[in-house]
Amino acid sequence: MIRSFASNIADSSLNQLISEIYWLWPVLEIFHFLGLSILLGALVTIDARLLGLVRNCDALDVKRFVPLAWVGFCINLVTGTLFFIGDPMRYAINIGFQLKMLLILITGLNVVAYQLQVRPLMAGWSAGAATTPAAKLIAITSLLTWTGVLLLGRLIPYVGAG
Amino acid sequence: MFSWLETTAIANWVALSLWAYPALLSLHIVGLAVVVGIFVMRDLRLAGVVRRINPRIFLDLAPLAWFGFTLNLVSGFLLFTSQATIFASNLPFLIKISFVIVGMVLAVMIHSRLRRQSVSASFYLSVLNEESTLRPLALLSLAVWVTVISAGRLIAYF
Repeated sequence: MIRSFASNIADSSLNQLISEIYWLWPVLEIFHFLGLSILLGALVTIDARLLGLVRNCDALDVKRFVPLAWVGFCINLVTGTLFFIGDPMRYAINIGFQLKMLLILITGLNVVAYQLQVRPLMAGWSAGAATTPAAKLIAITSLLTWTGVLLLGRLIPYVGAG
Repeated sequence: MFSWLETTAIANWVALSLWAYPALLSLHIVGLAVVVGIFVMRDLRLAGVVRRINPRIFLDLAPLAWFGFTLNLVSGFLLFTSQATIFASNLPFLIKISFVIVGMVLAVMIHSRLRRQSVSASFYLSVLNEESTLRPLALLSLAVWVTVISAGRLIAYF
């Protein structure tokens, strides 16, 4: 099923376009790396407050970095989708890519946990206040899963079919 | 000197081991995300894109950023040894290294000025408001790190 889906994309006109413009791939790579820096930078800042590594500000203040996390994520969703359309047969069967997508799904579940367990309590965590164990667990999960996403993404060219 | 570096045992290990090169690249991207990520957030705050949060939280995050930088200094040096003569004559690589140095000098300048504001209430307030005297430095630093990432990506294409 994945193969037939991928081969349909491989026959698309967008696929042709991406492979014909020789400078497009490196430009997409640059934006993918800028996007991951913005996403991870925002998450590290927010998670550091939840973990107590940063304490000297209200928890609601670090929430100002959440929109930047979404900016980084959207840049990488668009550039990543274009990578996939440009070379679908390579990505669809790659174990590194498959595990990376699975981890991104897990980060999505972690965002749901954040909405339920962290966001409603943030107003109560003023400067210096400790957070809850659940908030710390969610922050650690965020940092570990995104580190895994980075590692798996970087290993895509070096691993084989899943 | 660079051709001698390529003949060392460590360069041979990086070049010939099946997993050394991808493992070092993986460490390099984690370090990049940590150091550039934290610096970009700091610069966006000081540039006024993100508002009202105390910029001194980035002094608390500075040790983590330095850890990411050290990770990339070590992994980057090991990657460099495997093809030292090629990297040393690669234009994007030379641009990248020059701009990393500029970016780290700017980081030291920005952090020392952030640290000084703890004794100067008026400066502290000026940073909290958007008329930050650090804004030009922050915008310069942003441009520098965008250049570092762009040039780094282009190394493979030149």
